[in-house]
Amino acid sequence: MNWLQKHWDARAALNFMLGGTGGGLMIAAALATPDSRAPILLSLVLVAAGLGAVWLETGRKLRAVNVFFNPFTSWMTREAFAAVLLFALGAAALWRPQPFLPAAALAALAFVWCQARILRASMGIPAWRAPQVVLLIVSTALAEGAGLCLLFTTAPLLLTWFALALVLRAIAWSRYRAAARSAALEAPGKGLLQIGTVAALLLALAGYVVPAAAPLAGAAAIATGLWLKFALVARASYNQGFALPRLPVRGTR
Amino acid sequence: MKRVATYCYQCVAGPDLLTVKVCDGVATEVEPNFAAAAVHPGGGKVCVKAYGLVQKTYHPARVLQPMKRTNPKKGHGEDPGWVPISWDEALGRISEKLLQIRARGLLDESGYPRVAASFGGGGTPQSYMGSFPAFLAAWGPVDMGFGSGQGVKCYHSEHLYGELWHRGFTVSPDTPLTNYLISCGANVEASGGVAGVWRHANARERGMKRVQVEPHLSVTGACSAEWVPIKPKTDAAFLYALIHVLLHEAPRARLDADFLYRHTSSPYLVGAHGFYLRDPGTGQPIIAGALEASEEHVGLETGADGEVLAEGRLQGETAFAKLVAHMKPYSPEWAEGVCDVQAARIRRIANEYLGAACVGQTIDIEGKTLPYRPVAVSLGKTVTNGWGGFECCWARTLLAALVGALEVPGGILGTTVRLNRPMSERHKSVTPGPDGLMAYAFNPTDPQHWSAQPNIRNAYRSMVPLAVDGPWGQALGPTHFSWMFLDSTPPGLPRVTLPELWFVYRTNPAISFWDNDALEERMARFPFVVAFAFTRDETNHFADLLLPDATDLESLQLIRIGGTKYIEQFWDHEGFALRQPAIAPRGEARDFTDIATALALRTGLIDQYNASINKGALGVRLKDFSLEASQPHATEQIWDAVCKAASSELSGGTESHGLDWWKEHGLATRPFPRTAWYLFPTLAARGLRFEMPYQERLLRIGQELGRRLHEHGMRWWDKQLAEYQALPAWKDFPGEWERALVAMGRAPGEFPFWLLTSRSMQYAWGGNVGMQLIKEVADNVAGHGGVIVNTGRARAMGVASGDFVEIATPLRSVRARAVLRQGIRPDTLLLLGQFGHWATPFAKDFDMPSMNKLVPMSLELTDATGSGADIVRVALRKAA
Amino acid sequence: MTRWAMVADLRRCVGCQTCTAACRQANATPPGVQWRRVVDMEFGEYPQVQRAFVPVGCMHCDDPPCMHVCPSTATRKRADGIVTIDYDLCIGCGYCAVACPYQARFKVDVPTFAYGAPTENETACFDAKRIGVATKCTFCAERIDTGLAKGLTPGVDPEATPACVNSCIANALHFGNVEDAHSNVSQLLAENQHFRMHEELGTGPRFYYLWDKAP
Repeated sequence: MNWLQKHWDARAALNFMLGGTGGGLMIAAALATPDSRAPILLSLVLVAAGLGAVWLETGRKLRAVNVFFNPFTSWMTREAFAAVLLFALGAAALWRPQPFLPAAALAALAFVWCQARILRASMGIPAWRAPQVVLLIVSTALAEGAGLCLLFTTAPLLLTWFALALVLRAIAWSRYRAAARSAALEAPGKGLLQIGTVAALLLALAGYVVPAAAPLAGAAAIATGLWLKFALVARASYNQGFALPRLPVRGTR
Repeated sequence: MKRVATYCYQCVAGPDLLTVKVCDGVATEVEPNFAAAAVHPGGGKVCVKAYGLVQKTYHPARVLQPMKRTNPKKGHGEDPGWVPISWDEALGRISEKLLQIRARGLLDESGYPRVAASFGGGGTPQSYMGSFPAFLAAWGPVDMGFGSGQGVKCYHSEHLYGELWHRGFTVSPDTPLTNYLISCGANVEASGGVAGVWRHANARERGMKRVQVEPHLSVTGACSAEWVPIKPKTDAAFLYALIHVLLHEAPRARLDADFLYRHTSSPYLVGAHGFYLRDPGTGQPIIAGALEASEEHVGLETGADGEVLAEGRLQGETAFAKLVAHMKPYSPEWAEGVCDVQAARIRRIANEYLGAACVGQTIDIEGKTLPYRPVAVSLGKTVTNGWGGFECCWARTLLAALVGALEVPGGILGTTVRLNRPMSERHKSVTPGPDGLMAYAFNPTDPQHWSAQPNIRNAYRSMVPLAVDGPWGQALGPTHFSWMFLDSTPPGLPRVTLPELWFVYRTNPAISFWDNDALEERMARFPFVVAFAFTRDETNHFADLLLPDATDLESLQLIRIGGTKYIEQFWDHEGFALRQPAIAPRGEARDFTDIATALALRTGLIDQYNASINKGALGVRLKDFSLEASQPHATEQIWDAVCKAASSELSGGTESHGLDWWKEHGLATRPFPRTAWYLFPTLAARGLRFEMPYQERLLRIGQELGRRLHEHGMRWWDKQLAEYQALPAWKDFPGEWERALVAMGRAPGEFPFWLLTSRSMQYAWGGNVGMQLIKEVADNVAGHGGVIVNTGRARAMGVASGDFVEIATPLRSVRARAVLRQGIRPDTLLLLGQFGHWATPFAKDFDMPSMNKLVPMSLELTDATGSGADIVRVALRKAA
Repeated sequence: MTRWAMVADLRRCVGCQTCTAACRQANATPPGVQWRRVVDMEFGEYPQVQRAFVPVGCMHCDDPPCMHVCPSTATRKRADGIVTIDYDLCIGCGYCAVACPYQARFKVDVPTFAYGAPTENETACFDAKRIGVATKCTFCAERIDTGLAKGLTPGVDPEATPACVNSCIANALHFGNVEDAHSNVSQLLAENQHFRMHEELGTGPRFYYLWDKAP
């Protein structure tokens, strides 16, 4: 009865994984590497790869432009517009990081927000429609993006941003976990807390002193975050099934 | 686009009347024939199986031209090496064989017909085989007793005893009026067809209480007010306890004493030897002055073979008084220990039944005042089959008789006769017999007429007096004997031989009979098998010729509809319906009538064939529309004559619509009186009584049969002879299957589960396992993907849903996926339907076993009517 | 006003799947695509067990989540309440399928047939427009529209009635206009107690389940 949706598989999951990390990277870059182009490029590549992956999942690929038709109610349309904005501002930022990078970061935040709301609006899937999913998706994007940004700099500002994002993500996960109670997320959730939060925080702390530890912290945060999101999209996505508030009366009681 | 009216009769609960949508010569969709809604008891709707007919027509694996076997070796693992041949060659080979047989004599050295034929599905293939019955009639003796399920796996005791007691080959509650129904394993929502489902839904909405007594929560149990999970094969004990409550706990005045006294044999006096006391002058039973009495009369007591056992002033007790004493030990407390159903619950159900019986009330139907008794008991397949079946049928009929609910509005009704004649009219079969009871054409057991020379291999005439001689008697004999005795015929019977030519149509005994492996091995020895084939299957794997007959939507036939027929098929109308080609036959498929006519012509039997058609072999006597006998007629010509005769019969001779009219209209009916549903008024009018509760005739016949058998050195039927009792006692029926294990040197504890089966509505009788649509929709119903196991029991064994488990008897085992459900007893397993295919295209990939592979053909497990039951003790373990 | 609705009488339904088969055939859906089906549900623990058969499919919600999420506006709602899909607009993103709480939506990306290659009847009914897009129960809108054009009453006249309702052998499925107080479905709703699936989600499904007589 509880049917695991198969409409969105790893390809759709990749959009949330790569798009979230890419979006988070743009935001982190705006904070930590305001003049660097490489993080911007990587961010855009990741987001594009994610969108490319999900495009592969659509049934009518040549009609992809129709995705823009419903900005009034569809978070998928909004995500598409946010992506367009992100690419436009990202391209501009590649040309001139300032003043365009902060604007691109805002577009990235909008993009990530739309992704979170896409799940939230999926009424058929209790694990997605939980309101707590929004903060979870946004915070994982922030944490993973910051973690990825540690490849480019280990500046204390970024480390601090990264640590805050990790804490936020852990809180978001705990709140989400309490609301959604999904068995399929228990293992990745545990990984997210133990490796992706505690270990990553310790490594980040070490990163203040030994910069080489910082990318390790980032890797731990990214790997566990991606694992969780993959599981959330492809493994925990059970339809709620059917329930009868009343059982039929068959003949005389 | 056009819509073509036709019918579906794939299962015994048909026919359903439908239309087929045809677009540019392609059949695309089945719909109810809404024009029939007003006359059909199921709102004119069509069962799910009919929706598979489009796929059936266009099935890519259909046999579309005659094929001959090129590999002379037959066996499960042998490739038959089918190669296509022309119809001319195919018919030539068959007629050559038939002419050879005819030249040598129709019977073989053992006296058995050299030609045999098997048709499946409770007589439903007859609605598809056009004029083939006329060919068989023209031919002469044919052995139709090789079972594929019919006879031994049907509602067997109900068929035989039901006909004896109230002309009830199939017995149904009067669902439109019944208010309280105890259903012991009767799965009417799966087996009652559209009319059954429709009527029971109406009854539920009306407030009928149905108590489903069954080891698992079937579809019918699900739709019942109450589910009683009884231990398998103990239904007789449950029913006996109900009778005990009625006889020993309820005030006598609450029973229908008038009905019992005036309309049953209850007041007949029974002598010291167990036979009726008879008037010395007339020989008729002496009737006591009261229902429960012990009286002394001048009379005589006659036993088996007319032997006078006592004469003079004799003391007798009424049959009813004997019954009361007989039922004394069967209290609810006793039954609780047997059935695993609480005594209080049994008592409550008995009292609810009694309370709902409305004893004394009447109802007006079509201007006639009839008793109104809206209570009924219905019985399922494994309940009426094999050991214990007789006791259950007796108890059920008695429960009706005690409250006067037999063959009256609201009570239980026989809906058709197949053994007594005429088959089309139950009431005409009510003729006076001995002792003020209905006549019944028992196979003779007296020394002059009993014969140790059976007419067919299953020896029904010699062994089963109740299986009245005739084609249906053949099918209702111990049809496993034909298979079992091929290897070693027991003493006294002529050696059972292989038929020289076997026709097979719409049946697949290699799947649907017990002990599939043993059956295959025997089939492989049949020298010449002609299979009318839709696709390849497990039985025609052993055939020599495959003939593609035009299937359901491609061929022509007119059948009777309405009146009263199987199960819930009792209508307020009667008439005829036409099956007509919605599309042209695909490939080289031929209408069955074409095939039959060609065979008749090639075997020189055209005169007899036409004469048989004229006499009514196709369902209607042709009378004024008779065919000229000496020449062959085209299929359309034949059915045109049948249509005209049917039209004339329906209209009382004023109309004679031909085939074209019927093609346009599809069906025609006239009103059928509802009072004709009930046999009681007919018995009462003819001064006849129901033979309840005492079975003096059976007692006598059993003793006579025993003598005849023993005179011929036949001792191997002694266990079965014990079933012939005047008042049947409870025996440890489930123990039969436990003792079968002990006989194999194994302990019942090693095989702790009862494996049962249950009908799947989507498949039952349909021969439709190859239809993807049917498979797909059936899979929505729990149990189609594996063996149903109680959730708690499975978990305790470490078995999770979807795990493969092995189900084993001491001899064989099968694998199935576990389907965990709460709605089944922890000691019971259930395998729906009959699967286990290995040759049928598509179905062979189901990975779904059948219990048939696990059930042995066994004389020990054969009851006196010649039937067994679909039940076996098994072990269950998680498969590696 | 017209608001089409389906009424399923759970007391009558026996789970026979005739509606499932009729729908598959009438709408020529590919294998596995069951716009209408009946779910076999069990409640309780042995021996206190109940089993119910529940017809499901698109509930043609008043406030359909599938429509809101659809990025292409392929999913729309007609004035009579029927939720439609424009196969020419749909991009087959599957978002509607995950947004629907009723497992009502399907998407088949490659032509699929019962036995591999298409049979004659499948070829005759094949519609390439349905490949790669979302599909679901339409309440047999075409039958309703052509039936209405002929002056017929959906839910009463078979020609104007959804195939599943026409096929139902238990007379458990009913169809009609709930805005018409005298319609068959309005009367059933008035005479019986009923609920809708997952009412707490606020989707306003137009599929009612009868479970007992009105008190």
